[in-house]
Amino acid sequence: MTVDLHLTRQLPASPDEVFDAYTDAEKQKIWFSILDEQPGIVEIEVDLRVGGRQTAVWGPDRDTLFRETQTFLEIDRPHRLVTESTGSGPDGMTMTTRIEITFEAVGDGTLMTVVQSGFPVPEVRDFFAGEVWVGALDRIEAYLVRGADQPVR
Amino acid sequence: MVNHMVQQDVLDRVFASLADPQRRRILVRLGEGPATIGELAEPVGMSLTGMKKHVQVLESAGLVATEKVGRSRQCRLQAAPLDEAMAWISFYQRLWARKLDGLDAYFTLERGTEGHQS
Repeated sequence: MTVDLHLTRQLPASPDEVFDAYTDAEKQKIWFSILDEQPGIVEIEVDLRVGGRQTAVWGPDRDTLFRETQTFLEIDRPHRLVTESTGSGPDGMTMTTRIEITFEAVGDGTLMTVVQSGFPVPEVRDFFAGEVWVGALDRIEAYLVRGADQPVR
Repeated sequence: MVNHMVQQDVLDRVFASLADPQRRRILVRLGEGPATIGELAEPVGMSLTGMKKHVQVLESAGLVATEKVGRSRQCRLQAAPLDEAMAWISFYQRLWARKLDGLDAYFTLERGTEGHQS
């Protein structure tokens, strides 16, 4: 039993351009930190083939690094990309999930759809949904708002 | 420094302990305030032994703290492990916000410089 993250975004470029920007190491380095207020650490290595790995390491300084290692499971340029992702934070905690991304031409742009599955937390979600722990939901919202605010400043 | 194997173990126990509806009800009840094993068992018609077992599972996951008060055991809600579990979802939500906003800005900038100097 798991819970999924589901996100979509309309981007102003063709599926080929979006797929390449999303998977190319040099382009990733540009857009991954394009909205950072202050220069931090961004290291990205990509081996774009089935079974190959992509590692991204980022953070404000060497002591506060986040890491995401993805293994490519399916590559269907420019339509679909499936990876297994292992994320880890500065405290050393890790969790592995599956990411499926589709790139679909819509108008003169691309609709990028992300489904990340494998979070073993439906009970936690239901528990929170039951208004039992309103404070925790507020905290998550605060995280998200903070995340969205950062690029604007 | 925190050992990540230990951390993963804590998360596993949190998820496992929340899988049981009876244990979630205990947390709901403790959300209203501390209660003894007896006070938790009585309204749901459970034996003290049965309730004690559930509380022990929650205690090992760090979701509940217990303390001996006189002849009974007082149970209290602990929020920290749930915060850790939810932190994973927010980690990825923030990562995706960074990625999608970054891509958006990248193409918007690229278009801007292609079309007109701005």
